[in-house]
Amino acid sequence: MPTLLFEIGCEELPAAACEAATLQLPELVARHVPGGGEPHVFVGPRRLAFLVDDVPEREDDRVERRRGPSEAIAFGEDGTPTKAAEGFARSSGVSVEALERADGFVWAEQRVEGRTAAELLPEALARVVTGLAFPKTMRWDASGLRFARPLRWLCAKLDAETIAVALGSVPSGGTSQGHRFTAGEVEIAQASEYADRLREAGVEPDQRLRREEIVRALDDLGEWHDPTGVLGEVVHLVERPLVLTGAYDERFLELPMRVIETVMQAHQRYFPLGPARFAFVANGGDPDVIRAGNENVLAGRLDDAAFSYARDLERGLDAMRESLPAITFHARAGSFADKAERLEKLSGLLGGGDASREAARLAKADQASSMVHEFPELQGFMGAEYARRAGLPEAVAAAIEEQYRPAGAGDELPQTAAGRVLAAADRVDNLTTAFALGERPTGSRDPYGLRRAAIGLCRLAVEGGLEIDLAALVRRDLELLTRQSAEVSDDPSDVWDFVLERLEGLLDVPVEFVRAARASGLREIGAVAHLATTLAAEADSEAFAGAYTAFDRANRLAGRADGAAAALDTRLTVEPAEDALVEALARAGPRIESAVEAGDFGTALDAAAELGQPVDRFFDEVLVMADDAAIRANRLRLLLDVRDAVGLLGDLSQIPR
Amino acid sequence: MSGAPTYQEMLLRLERFWADYGCVIQQPYHTEVGAGTFNPATFLRCLGPEPWKAAYVEPSIRPSDGRYGENPYRFQQFWQYQVVLKPAPEDVLDVYFESLRSLGIDTTAHDVRLVEDDWEGPTLGAWGLGWEVWIDGLECTQFTYFQQLGGLELDLVTAEITYGTERLAMFLQGKQSAFDLVWTEGVTWGDVFRENEREWSVYNFEEADVPLLVRRFEAHERECERLLARDEPLPLPAYDAVLKCSHAFNLLDARGAISVTERAAYIARVRHLARRVALAYLAGRQVPEEEHADAPL
Repeated sequence: MPTLLFEIGCEELPAAACEAATLQLPELVARHVPGGGEPHVFVGPRRLAFLVDDVPEREDDRVERRRGPSEAIAFGEDGTPTKAAEGFARSSGVSVEALERADGFVWAEQRVEGRTAAELLPEALARVVTGLAFPKTMRWDASGLRFARPLRWLCAKLDAETIAVALGSVPSGGTSQGHRFTAGEVEIAQASEYADRLREAGVEPDQRLRREEIVRALDDLGEWHDPTGVLGEVVHLVERPLVLTGAYDERFLELPMRVIETVMQAHQRYFPLGPARFAFVANGGDPDVIRAGNENVLAGRLDDAAFSYARDLERGLDAMRESLPAITFHARAGSFADKAERLEKLSGLLGGGDASREAARLAKADQASSMVHEFPELQGFMGAEYARRAGLPEAVAAAIEEQYRPAGAGDELPQTAAGRVLAAADRVDNLTTAFALGERPTGSRDPYGLRRAAIGLCRLAVEGGLEIDLAALVRRDLELLTRQSAEVSDDPSDVWDFVLERLEGLLDVPVEFVRAARASGLREIGAVAHLATTLAAEADSEAFAGAYTAFDRANRLAGRADGAAAALDTRLTVEPAEDALVEALARAGPRIESAVEAGDFGTALDAAAELGQPVDRFFDEVLVMADDAAIRANRLRLLLDVRDAVGLLGDLSQIPR
Repeated sequence: MSGAPTYQEMLLRLERFWADYGCVIQQPYHTEVGAGTFNPATFLRCLGPEPWKAAYVEPSIRPSDGRYGENPYRFQQFWQYQVVLKPAPEDVLDVYFESLRSLGIDTTAHDVRLVEDDWEGPTLGAWGLGWEVWIDGLECTQFTYFQQLGGLELDLVTAEITYGTERLAMFLQGKQSAFDLVWTEGVTWGDVFRENEREWSVYNFEEADVPLLVRRFEAHERECERLLARDEPLPLPAYDAVLKCSHAFNLLDARGAISVTERAAYIARVRHLARRVALAYLAGRQVPEEEHADAPL
């Protein structure tokens, strides 16, 4: 069976569009191109293409069942077919005798011939093009077509046969285009020859092979780095990778290496290669000419960075801090100076010492620096650099540097105590500010990265051992925001739930244990996490079984009943089992409470377990719903007290048994 | 590069190339603009259904980019070479590459690349998609397919080609500082403009009269609105008032007189005016002159 080639020729696509197409093409092909196996997808800046082997030359014929008139209309009383039946049979291409009768209607089975591939492909392929969705699209001519960049040609071949695809005013035929500057039009005589013809014309259409080629060439150069991850983009910036090296003047090594690497990667997509050398990937050309040009450009960029760096050093961190009132943090929540004030207060609440308060005061000063203005990704790093140059204690500088960590899932936590405090304060403030201004993240929109901030907070508590009394911090931050005249519109106390929900994905225990622990009334993130892991670790123990029984049985009955007394009255307990439970609660209750308070959940669980047997006995021997209303109300109260005492360990009923 | 054109020769070759292509070769506009896009030959002419091809040098005034003539890459005034082709021809990229070859750039020896760069001009309510063009890693042209101007979807998509003339000349002449560019034999770019950079940087950052600029912004804003409110609006003079507002705003920004919050508000005011001018301009152009008298009210 024949092989199908379809190539969508474009002006240079952004890397993000190439990646979107890589993901979407297999599914679009499966949906629109009948038969055929898994497509081989080719993606690059000037072309999106695929090959499909074994495309059926014809669709299978199929049988369609058509409904005709009702039986009453189609047949006379004597059972003979009427004109209506004859007409329906004729239009369905069957004889009247072949009509079926069912459900009060007549039916005809019609055989529909499958279309040939050549017949159905033009429309199917056009749908593949229009089915591609990109982050941003544009118009480029009067056709009204939208795509990531202008479409310039289509090339569709079924083996040797050219398929014409009608789409806007885009020319469609059996030719492709080679490398933009070294080759012209390329005749594709056979679909299967596509990649070979393009390789002859200076284009490697297969993104996987381009990537391999680049990585292999970089490996040959020795130790190369890609600190900000530009390789994926570079693969889609070239059609014929040419990996070259260059050098820069050693005088630039006076700049922090991270600045040099950022200049190289952010502006130029170069790969650092150890001191004063770099690698880059060109799209062909004369290596000596290109090397000289790129070295010149990098020298200029580094010169520019050195100029900004020198200016910043001359100005100093304190002067930068003084200009923070003029730099807005959020249009409705004041400046970075306001933010720094909040961070300082929150750092105190988080138990931070002098270093973290000093770091908080200076944390955002680098927002006023030329370097961060040029390279926002250097925030924190530049502040720390300038703090060190100003002779500030290393603990302060390190905290400034570490405040944005962890930046993502795999990123490390701050190494220093002051860094962890500042990182937590910054995240609490970002969350509280957004929530208080009514800018909670939605399913698809999280422009301030608040989910990441919440996960970071959880990690600082769980892995970093930082005590984060979140509810209190949010309240304090709200007070500060209000005092600073931020345009507060919402109560941000749901920051708590938002953050704690992230704990469910973070801890290595079933979510039910986290949900149980979240309902404990604990208001410190690390404690909730510790409780959840303790419950999960103890889930099979006798202690857990006892506590669970006490909580669950008490909760099942009393939790849903109305009419509990306001307080337990021991004069109204009449049964021995009742008295036994009262006594057990009096013994266990305070111990649960003090152990939970001390964070010793194992001991608390042991104490709670002591209520299991008395609760079982109570249910065996005592009728809770007694006729005497006062006694009934008292018994319900007793059960609620048991539930609440054990409930300090969370809502154990969340945990399936 | 041996035999590299001087700065003025490079500009002359671009003029020749685009004149031969059929562009109207215009001269720089007389009012300060931040980019060639602000010139009415781009902003207004790219609205509406009439085809248009134009090219011109535009002095681009960006007060906060001044560096007192001390930084070899940053200036408060630099020179763009601006080309607009409306509608964008199918082979527009090939024509552009041809223009590079007319400057002596061998596109098979150099690494010429199109790197995604989406352009947005918030004061003009304008955006488009396109690229920065790299030659051996140097960004030397901004290429944009306009999608909206004045917040309005465009009837015809214009291709805008903006050469950074200093960058391009630095590449051609192999210089690391714009001040060292050979303008013409014996005269450098620095000879012509260094003192200009120094004095204007002092003015922009230190001397410009803030209360005067605030009054000027407001006066031009009122003027713009008055011209648009006439029975027969005057969009062309009204547009100059928009440009003057925009320049006053840029100067206020350079003086550090605008907080970030106010900044957004100022930009919104200019954008609002630009949109109204665009609408008035379109309304005026929809009825050809000779039919005007007979047009129903």
